[in-house]
Amino acid sequence: MRGFAALQGAFQNAILTGDDAVLAGLLDGPKEGREALLAVYRHAYSARLVEILASDFPALKAVLGDDGFETAARAYVSAHPSTHRNARWYGRGFADFLARTEPWSDRAEFGELACFETALADAFDAADLGPLTLADLAAVPPEHWGDLIFSVDPSASRLDLATNAIELWSSAAEGADPPLAAPLAATEKLIVWRDGATPMYRAMTDEEAMLWDEAARGSTFGELCVLAATFAAPDEAAGRAAGYLASWIGAGLLAQARPAEVS
Amino acid sequence: MSAPTSAKPPFLGFGLGLRAEHYADILDGDPAIDWFEVISENYMVPGGQPLKMLDRIRERWPVVMHGVSMSIASTAEPDLDYLNGLKALADRVEPRWISDHLCWTGVHGKNLHDLLPIPYTRESLDHVCDRIDLVQNALGRTLTLENVSTYVRFAEADMTEWEFISEMSRRSGCWLLFDVNNVYVSSFNHGYDPLEFLNGIPQDRVVQFHMAGHEHLGTHIIDTHDREVCADVWELYRHALKRFGPVSTIIERDADIPPLAEIMVEVEETRRIAAEVLPPESLARAAA
Repeated sequence: MRGFAALQGAFQNAILTGDDAVLAGLLDGPKEGREALLAVYRHAYSARLVEILASDFPALKAVLGDDGFETAARAYVSAHPSTHRNARWYGRGFADFLARTEPWSDRAEFGELACFETALADAFDAADLGPLTLADLAAVPPEHWGDLIFSVDPSASRLDLATNAIELWSSAAEGADPPLAAPLAATEKLIVWRDGATPMYRAMTDEEAMLWDEAARGSTFGELCVLAATFAAPDEAAGRAAGYLASWIGAGLLAQARPAEVS
Repeated sequence: MSAPTSAKPPFLGFGLGLRAEHYADILDGDPAIDWFEVISENYMVPGGQPLKMLDRIRERWPVVMHGVSMSIASTAEPDLDYLNGLKALADRVEPRWISDHLCWTGVHGKNLHDLLPIPYTRESLDHVCDRIDLVQNALGRTLTLENVSTYVRFAEADMTEWEFISEMSRRSGCWLLFDVNNVYVSSFNHGYDPLEFLNGIPQDRVVQFHMAGHEHLGTHIIDTHDREVCADVWELYRHALKRFGPVSTIIERDADIPPLAEIMVEVEETRRIAAEVLPPESLARAAA
């Protein structure tokens, strides 16, 4: 087994690092030398991973252009050999890579656009759970609503965007020329999720985003109402919180509700 | 440990590798497709649209699961999470059989997402047979393994690919997926007669054929699955039918995927050639 294992290590090394040591154990083909034949595997490795990224990040590719995307993708491939059996998960670190690696980190829209496309992909095949319905909620006596805590839908991701990444994505999705990237005057609070089979997104107000984040952390509905009262018009806080809750349920953003455990 | 053995899978007819691009045309229409092969990893996801589509397909057609990352020949520790995920999908899909490739995809915690070649040696044969036993016991069913296209050969090999595959199937009990295009590609790349390969495979172990296109670069051929099946591979398919009889067949296309109507021409061609080559009673008997 040691010989076979060593051979596999050398072969993988040849592909990942360009080390030619494995060539000594290979034969020339009838019409092509062993170097050129080994190069088939070397080329296929990076080409396949770049292709996977291109498929997962079509809007980013449109914004960066074919050559710009290829450069960014190859840099990611070099820095991050895949550790996943399933290629579906290979691009999960791409947004983070762009956000912290020069020169892409100098342009926040690249990382944010990749982050948004990752959220859409995650929403697409997230676990099926729920959704929570208004009928489920109606079955809970009103006096117990304050103790309810919610499970957000597994497809939901909350993003804070400092650039017009969504505008860039929209123009790419329509096949239009992308607008100039620009910072936003105020951070855009966004929610991405799947409604039925379709990934969706919409903006949230600062108050709604704050309450959503708290709900996702396991705060009770009563605590959300208190929090809303600190944000604006305390007398109307419970009504506003109930309004958000109804809209989340209507959109399929919540999976379950259950009473908080009494300690 | 002895591997689970199961009866030889049935002849399913003439099918197609399921691709998302064709979901709507397949489900809204009534294409003359007898069965589908699905890429297991495409459905090893938490939920959502892919699994819903697969549920709808399997309501109407027989389905076979075909994986690309079992890495059966890898010397890395077995990935039990992967096998558990594969088994969970199989429990949901109830495929007619589960296949993957005779290859490895990575070691040392990395995955190269490619079907990498192995040296055909006693040492690698022992290793692969041990892994097949492990996988068959984990899945509770007999595995089917496919010959891959290869571009390099190892100096240390002490047997041919067909000798290796035949012995692997005999020892482990695994069934064989005979990829006609891969035999053609590897035979050109390594300078042997594809019929020698074909005639070296036991007649009773093959349960499926793959047909696909490739890119011929003059000095070597790349297995691309991005175009139609070429005349030489159709000719090899005829020989395969004559040797192995009625075998469940699919057309594979993984890049530059054409509309369903276009790819159906090739599905029909697999059916037409089988009807031409095989006695009618053998196809009818196999389909019964």
